Order: sequence, then structure tokens, then C-alpha cells
Amino acid sequence: MDWEAIFEGTVKSFIGINAVYFAIAAIGLNVQFGFTGLLNFGQAAFMAAGAYGLGMTAHYFGISFWWGIGIGIVYAIVLGLLMGIPTLRLRADYLAIVTIAAAEIVRLVVRSVKFKDVFGGSDGINEFSGEFRRVGTDVGFEVADSYGFWWFTFTGRQMWTLVVGWILVAFFGTLVYMLMKSPWGRVLKAIREDEDAVRSLGKNVYSYKMQSLILGGVIGTFSGMVFALDRGSVQPDNYSRDVTFYVLTALVLGGVAKVSGSIVGPMLFWAIFVFIESTLREFTRDGPVRIGDFTLIDSTQVGQINLALIGLMLMLLMIFRPQGLFGSRKEMAFDDR
Amino acid sequence: MVIALFAIVAGLLALADAPAHAQDTEYAIRVRVLDQQRDASGRADNQPVEGVSITVVDADGAEIGAAVTDAEGMALIAVPAPGDYVVRLDEETLPDDLGLAGESTAEEAVTPSSFVTSTTNITFFTGESQSFGQSGVEKVAQRLADGVRLGLILAMCSVGLSLIFGTTGLTNFAHGEMVTWGALVAFLLNVTGIGFLGFLDFLPLIDSDGRFQLFLTVPIAVVVGGMFGWLSDWGIFARLRRRGIGLITQMVVTVGLSIMLRNLFLYRFGGRTRPLRNYSLQEGVDIGPVTITPRDIVTALVSLAVLVAVASALQYTRIGKAVRAVSDNPDLASATGINSQQVIRLVWVAGGSLAALGGIFRALDEQVGFDMGSRLLFLMFAGITLGGLGSAFGALVGGFLVGVLVELATFVVPSELKNTPALLILILVLLLRPQGILGRAERVG
Amino acid sequence: MTGDSTAQRGTSEIAVEAKRALATAAAEPGSAKPDPILEARDMVRNFGGILAVDVEHLEVQRGSITALIGPNGAGKTTFFNLLTGFDEPTRGWWQFDGHQMSDVAAHRTAAMGMVRTFQLTKSLTKLPVIENMKLGATAQRGEKWWNALVPSLWRDQEHEIEARADELLARFALGHMRDEYAGALSGGQRKLLEMARALMTQPRLVMLDEPMAGVNPALKQNLNDHIRGLRDEGVTVLFVEHDMDMVHDVSDWVVVMAEGRIIAEGTPDQISNNPDVIDAYLGSHQGTSLLEDLEALEDLG
Repeated sequence: MDWEAIFEGTVKSFIGINAVYFAIAAIGLNVQFGFTGLLNFGQAAFMAAGAYGLGMTAHYFGISFWWGIGIGIVYAIVLGLLMGIPTLRLRADYLAIVTIAAAEIVRLVVRSVKFKDVFGGSDGINEFSGEFRRVGTDVGFEVADSYGFWWFTFTGRQMWTLVVGWILVAFFGTLVYMLMKSPWGRVLKAIREDEDAVRSLGKNVYSYKMQSLILGGVIGTFSGMVFALDRGSVQPDNYSRDVTFYVLTALVLGGVAKVSGSIVGPMLFWAIFVFIESTLREFTRDGPVRIGDFTLIDSTQVGQINLALIGLMLMLLMIFRPQGLFGSRKEMAFDDR
Repeated sequence: MVIALFAIVAGLLALADAPAHAQDTEYAIRVRVLDQQRDASGRADNQPVEGVSITVVDADGAEIGAAVTDAEGMALIAVPAPGDYVVRLDEETLPDDLGLAGESTAEEAVTPSSFVTSTTNITFFTGESQSFGQSGVEKVAQRLADGVRLGLILAMCSVGLSLIFGTTGLTNFAHGEMVTWGALVAFLLNVTGIGFLGFLDFLPLIDSDGRFQLFLTVPIAVVVGGMFGWLSDWGIFARLRRRGIGLITQMVVTVGLSIMLRNLFLYRFGGRTRPLRNYSLQEGVDIGPVTITPRDIVTALVSLAVLVAVASALQYTRIGKAVRAVSDNPDLASATGINSQQVIRLVWVAGGSLAALGGIFRALDEQVGFDMGSRLLFLMFAGITLGGLGSAFGALVGGFLVGVLVELATFVVPSELKNTPALLILILVLLLRPQGILGRAERVG
Repeated sequence: MTGDSTAQRGTSEIAVEAKRALATAAAEPGSAKPDPILEARDMVRNFGGILAVDVEHLEVQRGSITALIGPNGAGKTTFFNLLTGFDEPTRGWWQFDGHQMSDVAAHRTAAMGMVRTFQLTKSLTKLPVIENMKLGATAQRGEKWWNALVPSLWRDQEHEIEARADELLARFALGHMRDEYAGALSGGQRKLLEMARALMTQPRLVMLDEPMAGVNPALKQNLNDHIRGLRDEGVTVLFVEHDMDMVHDVSDWVVVMAEGRIIAEGTPDQISNNPDVIDAYLGSHQGTSLLEDLEALEDLG
């Protein structure tokens, strides 16, 4: 057992790129689910919108990737309208059904052979982060050098993405925090609890829900962009429907309806995930663990067990601590009927 | 609740351990070369092409293996692991009178995701495309037949989903896993076998490995599916209802349950899809313009019979009326002395059984896979929304229609995207008639 | 809208006018009033074969307190929902203060000066009382997302709203609860909060759906005073109620509904002596039972 490696990986994952892109996605999901009570089960599609927006501009249109940010946002808005228009006047579950379906369809379309020329099929789009990396080198992150201290040591390439990523987390965190302190945020929180009451007081509930869905989606888009830039590639299977649920688990873990929860949750989530993953890997490194003839676990099953545990964690959190580790039950109310 | 979870997990551990790992994990690419021809009646009748050289190279261009097609037109080339490969056909070795069909090239790419099972199939066609061999009517008829089969399966799977929604208000995102569960139990009984039951081999339909013939497997798996539904309600959702936990929370719980179960299925069953032992390969029979296997005819007829039985039970029996009463108005139903908790339990059991049956039939169609149910989930949602959320008859009609439409849609969209029209249906229904075909507009206030 | 609930208030001219007008109005269903703030014609709402509302004609006099009474299932709440845009009538026409309302969305009615409360109180329990109140104010600049990020654009207005909210809270004796979560309030206090919050929209017509349901007797008198207080300030009140004592006590005019129709109208005294009304209350459930109701529902399914 190499405990030091396990702990190093765990500690590192608190601030690693996975925590970053989950945090951004969770901040967005929190606007929708935590503050407004909208069940967006298709955040993965919004993330894909950003990633493909970037990838397509740089790779196919041959224009600067900065344009890709704009295109990603446009995709996200279109997606939000597509999901929102049919559902936001109806009961909450319809949005869940349509978002989950739309996310699945988005994934099918981008990975299809039919649209391979546009989205690159199942291989996705590669090699478009050169320009982004160059900016990193320009501001002084040498790709091959290492930066940081103690276990928090990253290569210049990783560090540059992390810096940009955490700046985005801070930016969106502050943005959402300020919005939720405003009268606008008050309306969203009221809608979460009882939309008829809000309607009777003269607010256009439909419009507010749409704004919330789109804002959360656009923030989610940036999550996809950060992830894609870090990888230097976009692959359709990174945006499967379960990604949304992992983000949701991370959010619930940290605390719904709290900006801090949506940032701390993903950090914890990835620390737990990496800890379980690397511990199980260590266990199975020298071959499968067996009890008699029964194979308890082998190295290919580590990820599966880990994801099953995440499913279990989501269930237990929702049942026993829906406010998450840091939320307050008094304030937390996406469901109070 | 924790006990129930353990029970589910324990059940899973019992499931199909051996096959996932006992079998070889060697990977291979199976290449076929076929010449497109028609038989006397004008149907496609492709002929194998023998003696064609096939080479497989990896992403760096290094040769992994080579082979020459046999009398079946087949060449099997082993590869070390799923990965990116290029399969190359040597056009020089084609018989002189044959050339590759239309736009097809002599190279086909294979990606890691192509390896759904340990073997991935690549087919090269020579000659002219025969797709016009079938008349338009025949193609429509064939698709319609496929659509009817899918529709019947969807209808069966969706009834439970819709009734659970109707009686409790809960949208169960783990319903797909109930479908998978049925197929997996059938696989366990039919293919893996339950070793210690081998002594029962003096009975008909059971062999010495404890494997059950399909006819025996189906009823047992359906009962086990019902038990799964019972367990879900007894162990989890009845308790949540009693604690007054809200519907949205419960819905997210079903999401967690779905993730957990699906990964446990993957853990015990593996990522490959595998067929059931009996009736998985059958010759088609021509009925009018349609080719259909006897197996499909039987499953379609059984599905239809089950659906009619469910519909009549809901319509005419006391308990069916009680189910509909609880669906309509739980408070009023309680006031008339119906035990709504019992009715809900019953709905879970029935839903689990029907989902299991649907899963088995789907498995006969498409093989068993750990995520076969969750792939259907979205079609089920489209179906029950179309039919009217919460209405059992709506689920029957809606599920059926969505199945048919999805198959027919392949005329318009490529088959890899054939699920997209379901989203379109979903959106159109919600825009135009959110209560669905058979649903009733909700009373406000 | 100032002053507190205990002090004597001058009755507004509108209210005096209303009293005089109602004294001369005919005590019959659909009777015309001299100055109706709300008028409904031929409003019908069908729920899959069941006629929930079938109102031929109703006028509500400006400045009056009008009670809408009737046995359970008479369609009162459905009628409320129709008038406020929370439900769409199968057919019908109605106007509020000169505005045709048939195509007006629910949220627009509040901005036009017509606000409602709900039978089951809808206080937002996870928001503090003061936030509940501030939510009620209309035309808030900070409720536009593009302004929300610049507090200087809405801060002054927010202070104004807060001051107004505090005044109303004091008047409804909720001042000491201002920073508590609304979930901490008692049932009666929630009713008060909901009414106070509705007043934050500065309405001309307040529609209260069973304001007395679940309120303890001590508080009922208090609520009555508040309702009268509203009228005295020139606000028109239309309310649904079961409690006949309260209706008699507070209202200027009573409208009786049964089986979706308006069967009687008149002053409280006229109504209490009306045989049709007594019939409607006593006879509404004769010959039917819950079981038959259930069967009727089933037939719909």
C-alpha cells in the first residue's frame, strides 16, 4: 500500500482541474436547482455546448478561439430555450424529463457519423487549445516547468488551466452570490418555494425560470470550456447524462442553495472519489481480490464500484442530509410540500 | 432502508459472477466481405467473397494481424485490446469481376468504443447496393413490424412507470434499471445457471448446470422482477413517503438509485452485451412483405396478451379500479376505504414484473446489457408523456406509438439518431397538449 | 395606507358611496351596481364534463366588502382562479376597472391592481418575514437581472420598499417577527402575513380566499378589523368565506354560489333570510355520497 501516493492524489484533487470544472458546473446547476428549484438534469448538454463551441471555432472555422466562447454561450442559450419553452409552464418533472432527453440527444448528435464533419463523431475534436496555451506561456507559465508547493505541484500547463479555472470559479461564485442577494434572487428563491404565490404578486414566473435556466446553463458552458481546454480535446462521451448527476451529487454534498456549497462540494467530491479510486486500485494492483472462488473486485471494476458508491451517496444525502454538509435546513427548500 | 439496500446489493452479488470473467477476454475484429445480390424474389441475398486479404494496423500504422477470408467471406483477426485500428482490404485480391460498392473505401476505422462486445464486426460490400431491391411498401412494412415489437415492449415497460407516477406523483428515474434487472435475472437463470440447483436436472427444462430453459426462466424472472419492485417500495419509497419526504427529493433519490444499480450491474455483469441461450438465433419467416422470426411473433403475441390483460384488469377488476381511484385522487380514495399504501405497493410489484418481462423480450431482441433499460428510459418517458402522465392506458398507447414512430423515423434520420424524433414528440406534446392523448387537464386550486 | 389597526380611521368617500349604492341595488343574482370595479359575464369552466363554474353575471361595487359564500364544491375557488388568471375559463368575459381581462396572464393582474390570496396559505416559509413582504412590491428595478448586479440602481427603492413593509408589518402586529423565517409563524400569523404581503402590491381590489380558515377565534376579530380597515382606505375587498358570522359581521354585500352558479345576492340581512340559500346549504349533498363522487371521478378517467 502506497498510502503517501493515495493521500497526495487525494489532497491534490481538492484543487485539481476536475474540482474546477465541476465547481463551475455546480455553480450553474445551483442557480437552477438550488435557488430556483428547476430540475435541470441536462447540465451535461450545456457543458458540451461550451466545449464544442470552442472546439468547432478553433478547429473548423479557423478563427481565434476567443470567438468560441461567444459561440458556446449562444449554443447554451439556444439549448436553454429549447428545453425551457415547452416545460417551464408545467410541473417540475417535465423539465427533468426533457432536459435528460435533450442531453442524450445532444450527445447522440455530436457523436453521430452523420455529423462527423461538424462535430468529429465519436473521436470528437482535438488540438484546439494551442492558442490558449500560448497565452499561458505569455503570462509566464512555462509548459514543462513545475509550479506550486508540497503536494500541490503541477506542471505549467496544468497550472495555467487551474489559474484560469479558479478565476472563473471565483468570478461566477461572486456573480451568483450578488445576484442572489438582489431582489432578482429573492424572486427566484420565492419561486423555488411556491410559484403561485409569486405569480399572484405580479412576477412573471415563466420569464424568471427561463432566465435562471439560461444563466445556469451559460455558467455550465464555461465548465465545459475549461474541461475541453485542459484536455485539448472534446469527446462526446465526456458529456454523458450521468455527468450531470455527478455534478448534482457534488452540489448536494456541499450544500444546495449556497454558493459556498457549490464550490466546496465539488472539491470534496473529487477528493472522496480519488481517494476511493486510488485505494481500490492499490488493493487490486496485484490481481483481483477473491473470497474463495468469488471475485470480489478486480482492477477493471474499480471505477464501477466507485460510481455505484456515488449513486449510494446521492441517495443517502438526499434522504438524511438534503441540505448538504454546509447548508442550512431552514433555508434549503427545493421541496417543501 | 439500509437493510433493503443491502438486500439489493446482496442479490446483485449473487448475480452472474462467473460469465463476466470466466470467459475469455480476448478481443478480435471480425471482417466479412459480401457481394450484394438479390434472390429470385428480389430480396437481398448477399454472397460471401472468399480469398480476400485483410490487414489490421494500429494507430501508428504497425501491422497487428492479417487474414484471408474463408468460404463464409469471413476473416477473424485478434487484437490485444480495444483501441484505434484501421482495417484494410486489399483490393488486388478481390475477384476480377468484383469491385467495392459505391462510395465505400478499402479502409475502415475501428475505435475503442466499437468494442461493445469482445468482437467488433466490419463488413465490406462489393457490387451495387441492393437497398432498392425492397420495394417501398416492403420497407415500410418491415419497419412497421419492428416498430410494433419495440412499441409493445415499451408499452409493457412504461405501464409501471406511469402508474407509479399516477399513484404517488413520483417520476422514477430508476425504472430503466427494473427493465435491465429482468433481463439480468433471465440471463442468470438461462445462461449462467444456478449451480447447486443442478440436481433438479431430472425435471424438464432444467439441465445439470442448473440452467433453466427460457420457458421456465421467463415466469421466474418476472416474479423476481416483481419482488424487486416490492423491495424498492418497501425498502425505500414507502419509508420516504411515511417520513413526508417531498417528491423532488424522492426523484433525486431515484436518480441515485439508478446510478448505483447501473454500476452494480456493470460490476457484476460486465460491459459486454451477451445473448440469452435459447432462441437467440433464428431464421426469419416471410409473412407477406415482412420477414420475422417465430420468436418475435411469439414475444409480440405474448406482449399483446399481457397488455390486454393489464388493461382489462385495470378496467374491470376491483383492484384495478382501486388503482385508478388512487391515481385520480388519493385522498378521496382513502376516504372510501381503499388502502392507498397497499395499492401503491401493488403498483410497484406489477410495474416491476412488467418491466422485467419487457426487459427479457428486449434482451431476446437485442441481447442482455447492463444499461439496456436505461437506454429505453427516455423512450418510455416520451411514451408516457404522449399518452398522458399517470394514465395507465395512456402509457400503453403512448409507449406503443413511440416505439412505432422511432422505428419508422429511420426513413428520415440515420438509425444512429433514431431516438431523436422521440425528443421531438416529447417537446411537441408538451407544447400542444401537455396532458397527453388520454390525460385530463389538471384542475388548479 | 398608514395608521394602525386599533385607531379610529376616517371612512373613505368611496366606501360611503359604496354603502349608499348597495342599499339601492337589487337583491337578485346578477344585479347591476352603479360603479362596478369588477364585472364578469357568462363565465363557464368545465372540467371534463363537470360544470365547475357557470356565472351569468356578477358585478362587484367599488369600495365595498363583498363576500362570496356557498357550500363546498360550489366553485368559489375556481371562480377566483378564473378571475385572477390562474385558470382559463372554457368561455367567458370579464373586466377589472375598465380593463378586459380574458387574455391577461396571472402575473399581470397584480400589476394592474388586483391581488389575491390563497385558501391554503402560501407564505414562503424559507424566506424571512421581511423578505416575504418585500417580494410583494411591484415594479422593482432590482428584479431585472441586468440591474440586479448594480446595487446602486435599486438600493434606494429597496429602502423605500422596506420602510413600507415595516409599516404594514407593524399594522398587522408582525413587526417583532420581521427577521424570523416565515416558517416560524403560527397559522393565523401566516394568514396575516399573506394579506400584508398582498397589500405590498398596492392593490385596488383584494381577493381573499377563505381568510378565516384555520384562524383561532381571537385572531378572527383582528382580521375582520383589517378587512374593514382596507375598505376604509378605499380598497375593494372580495372574499370567499364559510364562517357566516364573519360574513354577516364584515361584509356590505353577499354573493351566494352553489353548483357553479350564483343563486342569490344581497345585503347580509337579505341573504340570511333567503330560502334558496338555506336550501343550497342543506340540500347540496342530499342523495349523493362520497362513493358516488368517486365513481363520477372514475368515469372521467
